Amino acid sequence: MNGVVSTAPEPEGYYPPGDFALWIFIFAELLVFGIFFLAYAFARSANVELFNASQLQINQLSGAVNTLVLITSSYFVVRAVTAIRMDDRKRCIRWLYAAIAMGALFLVIKMVEFYHADAAGIGMETNIFFMFYLSLTFFHFMHVIMAMVILGAIVLKARKGGYSAHDHTGVETGASYWHMIDLLWIILFPLVYVIR
Amino acid sequence: MQQSHTPSYWIRPCTWVLLILLALTIAAWGVGQMKLGGLTVVSAILLSTLVKGQMVVDFFMGLIRVRPFWRILMFSYLFIVIALIWVAYFIGLD
Repeated sequence: MNGVVSTAPEPEGYYPPGDFALWIFIFAELLVFGIFFLAYAFARSANVELFNASQLQINQLSGAVNTLVLITSSYFVVRAVTAIRMDDRKRCIRWLYAAIAMGALFLVIKMVEFYHADAAGIGMETNIFFMFYLSLTFFHFMHVIMAMVILGAIVLKARKGGYSAHDHTGVETGASYWHMIDLLWIILFPLVYVIR
Repeated sequence: MQQSHTPSYWIRPCTWVLLILLALTIAAWGVGQMKLGGLTVVSAILLSTLVKGQMVVDFFMGLIRVRPFWRILMFSYLFIVIALIWVAYFIGLD
């Protein structure tokens, strides 16, 4: 069956994939970011003209490209989990490396964006829009770094044969955290870069 | 005869999900490039954000295959946050 690819069956369960303790952490993170998003949205409602004018100064293209990069990285992580469920450790590691590379690309694009903002004399003190824009995106930036460290640790363990089709909770745990980072950016992008 | 438990696809379901997510993102960027605003446009963008978020939850996080409680919990989070963003935008129109 040329061209046909297969996917390993995914387990059905009572709890989400991965370590349940991390899911408590994920919900806590979602709550913090949720409050941050709403603070931005309601601050905007009181300063619409300022937010619309300031938004024109940020690079919408880099925000969109970073969204595509993070979504693609999440897809790579899905493929890594599928591979380890099929006991294909080498393929799992390759997909994880690809996800980490996409994470690095996200950071580079974001750093270029921060550099241009700084070069234009834009800082946290410029106005309330830039205070939110810089703090929200930097807070997310730090989470991407943390997620990359987690995936890196998973790669190291996988290289030592630490995961298999029967024991891959660690891979699923790291994957869940990575998807959370992606999910947060999916809300952040239209909120900060698009809505006007 | 033992049956295989490995389903086969021409394109993996997760690849379809990726393509839909990328398309919705490019559409949102296009709206942003045209500097479109207003309640209808923003409602559409927020609705597509809700759909994208739930697709990540269901198919990337894999919550579609576990107890519905977790999926409902994540949907509730997305719905409440996105609905309140819509409310804030609506207030800003005044």
